[in-house]
Amino acid sequence: MNVSKNNGKPKIGVFSLTGCAGDQLMILNLEDELLELLTKFDIKAFQEASSYYENSELDIAFVEGSVSTEHDLKVLKNIRSKSALLVAIGDCATNGCVQAMRNNQTSIAEKMLEVYGVKDNIYMAVEPKGIGEFVKVDYEIPGCPIEKDEILNAMISLLHGDPPLIPDHPVCVECKLNGYPCVIVEEGKPCLGPIIKAGCDARCPGLGLDCIGCRGLITGESNAEAELEALRKRGYSDKYIINRLRFFGGNFDDITVLGKPKPSEKRGDK
Amino acid sequence: MDRVLRIDEITRVEGHGGITVIIDGDHVKDVTMNIFEGPRFFESIIKTVYYDKVPDVMRRICAICTASHSLASIRAIENAFNVQVSEQTQTLRDLLINGETIESHTLHVFMLSLPDYLGYPDALRMASKHPEIVKAALELKKAGNMIHNILSGREVHGMNERVGGFSKTPSERKLAALKEELLKVKKTAELAVELFAKIQPLGCVDSNNIFMALDPGEHYGFIGDSVLISDGSRYHINDYLEIIKEKTVKQSTAKLSTYKNTPFMVGALARIFLNKDKLEGTAETLFKTYRSIINERNPLTNNIAQAIELVQSVERAVTLIDELKSRKLIREHVPVVNVKEGRGVGAVEAPRGTLYHDYTFDNRGCIVKCNVITPTAQNIASMEKHYREIAERMIKEQDDKIKFNLELLARAYDPCISCATHIIRLKHNR
Repeated sequence: MNVSKNNGKPKIGVFSLTGCAGDQLMILNLEDELLELLTKFDIKAFQEASSYYENSELDIAFVEGSVSTEHDLKVLKNIRSKSALLVAIGDCATNGCVQAMRNNQTSIAEKMLEVYGVKDNIYMAVEPKGIGEFVKVDYEIPGCPIEKDEILNAMISLLHGDPPLIPDHPVCVECKLNGYPCVIVEEGKPCLGPIIKAGCDARCPGLGLDCIGCRGLITGESNAEAELEALRKRGYSDKYIINRLRFFGGNFDDITVLGKPKPSEKRGDK
Repeated sequence: MDRVLRIDEITRVEGHGGITVIIDGDHVKDVTMNIFEGPRFFESIIKTVYYDKVPDVMRRICAICTASHSLASIRAIENAFNVQVSEQTQTLRDLLINGETIESHTLHVFMLSLPDYLGYPDALRMASKHPEIVKAALELKKAGNMIHNILSGREVHGMNERVGGFSKTPSERKLAALKEELLKVKKTAELAVELFAKIQPLGCVDSNNIFMALDPGEHYGFIGDSVLISDGSRYHINDYLEIIKEKTVKQSTAKLSTYKNTPFMVGALARIFLNKDKLEGTAETLFKTYRSIINERNPLTNNIAQAIELVQSVERAVTLIDELKSRKLIREHVPVVNVKEGRGVGAVEAPRGTLYHDYTFDNRGCIVKCNVITPTAQNIASMEKHYREIAERMIKEQDDKIKFNLELLARAYDPCISCATHIIRLKHNR
């Protein structure tokens, strides 16, 4: 990785497309580290935090939000063209998040009519998708929202020219390390932990709740067979499981691919 | 030829929006708040989802007021299924939403609004000259977030508050640590009031405003079942569609919320005016001290109203923790809910104003109809009214000066455009 440095500081931008702006907010929530952290970078854009904006070449662009409009796509392509590295932060940018849960099910026209009372696509909305569907993404920081420690560590790694480390093992590992009782076994809850990326310290099972999958499916291999069997045995249908996985997994619809490693060059490269 | 003032993107606000003002000679011809946040169609995508996961999806409308959305959502569901919650749950919810006020108001007052008045593009650059203010503000924000962490499970999009109660009851040890933090940052909340009291609000807005806020009951707060209006009327939240009319203006593509055909304002300033008798302790004292500065005719004073709410919320949070402790925390379990066909409305005061969630369920407990009205959606008409007023009063000034004031006003409203999207103007101006 080559980060060209200006006065020793990489030039960065934090951008947001369509979403709740929660990933930018998680950066701002790094109350103890924020001031020191941001002095390590030359910040050219940070929409939620600053009026300062410079349309310059960037070493690293952090992008949150999904591509939900033609405008988002235009903005994204511009960011990509001027950035050496592009980091997708949060589930909107990696998978499209909740706004993508009805992709291929409800058309834009139906949604427009239902919510705004008109059929015309005046917003120039497109089916929401993660940014990797449109441009090359160098790294992904998962989660809805991203974990503070994870983005902090990722920013420090990138500062030193290292790739961010993102776990690709199941939430169950963290659940066991914390000694939490299994909510599937003990309470019959439809926990997605066995097939979802860890890194959240098993927050939901720690509160007695089932994992809802906000960090996205494990990219490598997982024991999905056992998970599906456990859920089916407790009365959850495949349709229910698919719908649950769509909350944070956009266009997910093929339950048979669960647990199989994703091909490494799955993402579009344009 | 028309003189067009365009702010492409208002910075230091939540979400993406701009302002366009068109002036023809000495007459302000048109004023528009442009929204180019992509639509997310929450009311549509939530259909068919079983009630228990509804708040988990709906809270994702917004990050900065995530607990407000989850509590409005939960209360709508509870009202639909007649679920009663314990006193402990009510107190914990009060504490949670006070935490949201602290976290959100701190971010807005110190990080987003204050830089304007001290002449910086952001809090980070402001920190180079005023490090003590920015550091103290971050501590205050952290205390608000600590409430989210302990009660909800994380700062943004927590999960612990559920229909019927809390999944895991927070420990007394954690609440004691929280109280200690709150007592430490109380001074910073007071500093916010002092700082904004010193700033002379610009005198370019001065008009009658109608305010709306929930009646919080006995104490100043953010949860309630009745809407108070500054004309003296009171409505049950179930009748919110009677009071808030979404009106189509100009072309068929614009919708604005009005009350009796007039724009109205929700948020801190509205709450302070409608519930001022309920302010307590230092917040009450500060309100009385600065009563003359807090001007119901000038929405820019929303900033100081937020600062007073910060003090109120920090003190109230401490009181709520004491109450929880004196009653001894009981480990409660979320009750089994009997779903039925029906409708429920839930409302809370989000940091930016009244937020309504309205759901209709089928007999299996799945959503068949959903409507959400966010505070910013309600404020848009009022914002446009005040943009117009600024443009009219400053018509002889340079463009940049007018634009600065427009943006100042927009920010004073603390708009949350990612929340507001569902409402607004179906016009894409970019």
